[in-house]
Amino acid sequence: MALTELIEKSSAGTMFELSGVLDKGTQQLTDRIPNSISLNAGCELFNLFVTVATHDLGSLSDFKDKLVRQGNRYIAEAALYSEKIAGFTNGFVKDGSVILTHSYSRVVMKALLHAHKRKRISVYVTEAKPRGLGLKTYETLTAAGIPCTVVLDSTVAYVMDKVDFVLVGSEAVVESGGLINATGSNQIAIIAKHANKPFYALAESFKFRRLFPLSQYDLPTHGPGVLPFPRHIPEAPPAPLINGQPLVDEFKDAMFPVSISTGSWTQKSMSAEQVALNPEVDYTKPDLISLVISDVGILTPEGVSHYLVGMFAG
Amino acid sequence: MGSEQPPQTSEQGQEPSQSFRSQKSMTKAERRELQEKQRATKAAAKASGSTGQANKPATKQPEGGGEKSSGKQSGKQGSGSGQSTQPQNQHQRRASRVSGVGGDITRPGGGPGANIASDLASRSINPRGVRIFSHFGLQHKSGAGKGLIHPAIVRLGLLFSDFQITGANARCLATLIAFKHVIQDYTTPQNNTLSRHLMTHLSAQISHLVAARPMSVTMGNAIRQLKLEISGVDIDLPEQDAKEALCGTIDSYIEERITAADQVIAQSAGLKIKDGDILLTYARSSVVEKALLRAHEEGKSFSVYVVDSRPMLEGKKLLTALSTAGIPCTYLLLPAIGSVIAEVSTVFIGAHSLHSNGAVHSRAGTALVSMMAKQHSIPVVVCCETYKISETVQLDSFTKNELGPLNGIFSTFPISIPRESLATENTTNLEILNPLYDLTPPKNITAVVTEVGIIPPTSIGTIHIALGRQIV
Repeated sequence: MALTELIEKSSAGTMFELSGVLDKGTQQLTDRIPNSISLNAGCELFNLFVTVATHDLGSLSDFKDKLVRQGNRYIAEAALYSEKIAGFTNGFVKDGSVILTHSYSRVVMKALLHAHKRKRISVYVTEAKPRGLGLKTYETLTAAGIPCTVVLDSTVAYVMDKVDFVLVGSEAVVESGGLINATGSNQIAIIAKHANKPFYALAESFKFRRLFPLSQYDLPTHGPGVLPFPRHIPEAPPAPLINGQPLVDEFKDAMFPVSISTGSWTQKSMSAEQVALNPEVDYTKPDLISLVISDVGILTPEGVSHYLVGMFAG
Repeated sequence: MGSEQPPQTSEQGQEPSQSFRSQKSMTKAERRELQEKQRATKAAAKASGSTGQANKPATKQPEGGGEKSSGKQSGKQGSGSGQSTQPQNQHQRRASRVSGVGGDITRPGGGPGANIASDLASRSINPRGVRIFSHFGLQHKSGAGKGLIHPAIVRLGLLFSDFQITGANARCLATLIAFKHVIQDYTTPQNNTLSRHLMTHLSAQISHLVAARPMSVTMGNAIRQLKLEISGVDIDLPEQDAKEALCGTIDSYIEERITAADQVIAQSAGLKIKDGDILLTYARSSVVEKALLRAHEEGKSFSVYVVDSRPMLEGKKLLTALSTAGIPCTYLLLPAIGSVIAEVSTVFIGAHSLHSNGAVHSRAGTALVSMMAKQHSIPVVVCCETYKISETVQLDSFTKNELGPLNGIFSTFPISIPRESLATENTTNLEILNPLYDLTPPKNITAVVTEVGIIPPTSIGTIHIALGRQIV
């Protein structure tokens, strides 16, 4: 949307200048927003569209108008994509399904609400720390009347056998057929695979990217700042003393779980710096994903690459 | 076997009627034994009747050579083809092997000499042996060129059969360059058009090369493209212009699909190499070598494990190239790969050809390397140009392979090991197999780097869309 406006307002004289302006705009957007993967996808697609569009119009201003119109039309259509995806997903939801989802995703929301109109569903949603967006999902679903329970991120394996299938949204779907989504998606996918539960990823077509990460550590968001070991081990705080004896009683600890008030550690929850060391998104390998449901169709992970090759190289 | 023969001949009358009924109930091994017995008796009968065995190998060998390629092709076409073609192949193979293994076994003259020869012939070939690769003929030196074989092609054939030129890219390049010479020296005979006659002329050259060593997929694709160009040559074009145009297309094919493609691949693969990476590569792929050298030139610091395997030990050349460039390398043989694989960040391998189902046909041992890497969740990256893509589907390493030569196979052992302790040639109970290629299934491969992008192995079938033309 932003890029379309940019074209409207730019006074570029030639095609070359126009693409230069677009590139700068993309760069600014990317720099401004920290998690830029899905944004990049949209910009890539837009750029491609601009360069490939036919040039049989006479003047550049006509061409700009045409582009703007196309851009606006694309935006309008994009709003319909999630409707389409919700329709496709409906086919996989049986009456009485128990669905597990992760964090908050607009596409998944739409799909669940759409399914709720005709069928009875129950939803487990993970808390998705540190951002805790799972609670947003919980509130939205409860307000709509869908029975919903929040699950700790570490309890996913516990509930997996009760679940019928897993439904997640996506930041991006990549060339390998893999999924980039909020941290925790990979974990859920591995558990689902082990429990033989289908794992469906919902993604609009503009989220398909020509990126090809070979592993978690090949993601553009990964770097030396992610989960490093501390170079300087901070001194452990001194253990509190009671009656001159340190508060460590092995027998007692075994019999009675240490309660928070007599706990021998000081930190109650992760500090902001510690949280910042953790990645925001992770990569799910294609062999863990059953289907990618998008507006261009219901694709297998291999099919994602077929679509991308057709789109970008035809 | 000799003592068994008389009773067999008496049984022979009974056997066929019984065997036709019961052949289906016999196992494959029993059926094969039956064949061998029948053939042995036939050979014995012939040998005692006609002139000595000596004539047979002499006449059989060139036929065997010529038919080998056709036999192989028919074997390829129908693995379920009737037993009628198989006996022929085996018969020729056995006859040629008799002459190859023991020249002193054959003695001229009939009588006892011939009988001994036939005994040894039937005994030296274990009917149970080498079943899995029995549909490939043995290597043999191509005979003197029959017909008008261009000296460049003769030279190339010798280089191929001596394994002086190895590697899919190298062979294709050498072939195309030789064909350029052929085309330049070619003159259209009277009452013939260049486009039609040149095709037949080239086909003769090609069969000479195939006799030296089975054609690689790269050569096949390049030749197919060349034939397409030849058939499209304008009839009215003067001969010299047509020849220059053809040489021009060959040059542009080499430039586009090999040289430039290699550069793009080296660049894309380089994006997957980060500072501090420990890479692993197997044998010697020209593309991987270029990629690693380029990444090093760009200033990235990484180290390489070069895994090699006998008998070809091609990794040594790669090791030399990389270490002269200043890349820290470690050299090891394939059986030792388990000790080092856990430390590796990425595995880079090359390919002889890619198949439409995503399988990679590459130097024997590659499948092992990829399997080990997959077990340790290490990404396996295949670097391969698009002209190596074959439209066939391959599911295992047996249906399409090549047996390497045995001579010199053990020359790579150190001199300290006495030659007598090594089995250097086929004996009565020992057959040496040296398959040159194996198949890596798509599930063990993470990514394929081509000049049109990095794609998952399952998308190889869609490459032709990216290329924008018919895949060749």
